[in-house]
Amino acid sequence: MTIYSPTYADDRAQIQDLMGRYLFAMDWHDTETYAGCFTEDGVLDYAMDTLVGRAAIREGAVKFRENVGRLFKREDGSPALLRHVLDQIVIRIEGDRAWTTAFWWEMTDGGPGRTPQIQSYGTYEDEVVRIDGQWLFRRRKIYNEFIPGRETPDPNPVIRFDEVADAAKKD
Amino acid sequence: MNARSYAQDRAEIEDLMARYLFAMDWADYDAYAEMFTEDGELEYARGTAKGRAAIGESVRAFKAAIGQIYTDSRGRPAILRHILAQTVIRVEGDRAFAVALWWEMANDGPGDKPKAGTFGTYEDELVRQDGRWLFSKRRILNEFLDGRATGETNPVLLLDQRAKACAR
Repeated sequence: MTIYSPTYADDRAQIQDLMGRYLFAMDWHDTETYAGCFTEDGVLDYAMDTLVGRAAIREGAVKFRENVGRLFKREDGSPALLRHVLDQIVIRIEGDRAWTTAFWWEMTDGGPGRTPQIQSYGTYEDEVVRIDGQWLFRRRKIYNEFIPGRETPDPNPVIRFDEVADAAKKD
Repeated sequence: MNARSYAQDRAEIEDLMARYLFAMDWADYDAYAEMFTEDGELEYARGTAKGRAAIGESVRAFKAAIGQIYTDSRGRPAILRHILAQTVIRVEGDRAFAVALWWEMANDGPGDKPKAGTFGTYEDELVRQDGRWLFSKRRILNEFLDGRATGETNPVLLLDQRAKACAR
């Protein structure tokens, strides 16, 4: 009994690539590429807002670019560099649908003497779909353990998506 | 011989390793124990637990203890997260061997900000049973605990030796 299809490795690799591209687009403020990681009707559910559709997601990314320098500063008050880091990722795939649970953290160059400083960490919960051969986020929910009300809830988040994926498998 | 590709086995094992960390950090002891074979072994700071029930109980006790060590400024158990970085995986049929680098952080820094805790390696033996990769043995080494540090020899060389012996 396996939850992995024979094409799991290839699909997983492509979804991991999407998740990598998303972070480069975010940290380099490439708002066009960032919004392009989502489906046309994609949803981004994060601390500040829930954005629906690529246009709204791109606008949100523009606002983030404008505000991020105020959120994260170096000791001298100049805007800090921000980098998101992605580590362990659980991915369930059923045909052209997939669900991911991943651990992210972020750091800046805002530590003493312009050293790296870890700012926060949390979880991504994604619904991913393959459209015209390309995996895209249909919905990304970003939890952050350092924003009250946005902490990843209990229980183990992997279990929720396993249940959704199991139900999709039966359809 | 199996017809599965290395990429397929590796992808499934990476998924298992990610599931393991979510189970641990969210205290899901059932899911945690089920990632081991029935007679699986977990060897770590608290000794060796053998079998799923013993592994689940051992990790439950460990989590309770660690909640006393890592605390935020108000004395509450900190939000502890384990992080998996590079992973070396050798697959020999329905057996596999892995070495991986882990580290951890928690919200126990100044102002309850994130602070890096310890780091170490995982040394794993895995078995594919009923189409599922499971840990038959996981050794958790921690460079910050006396007697539990990874040895002087590159652990990947030891992994290669074990895999070669298995292939014969």
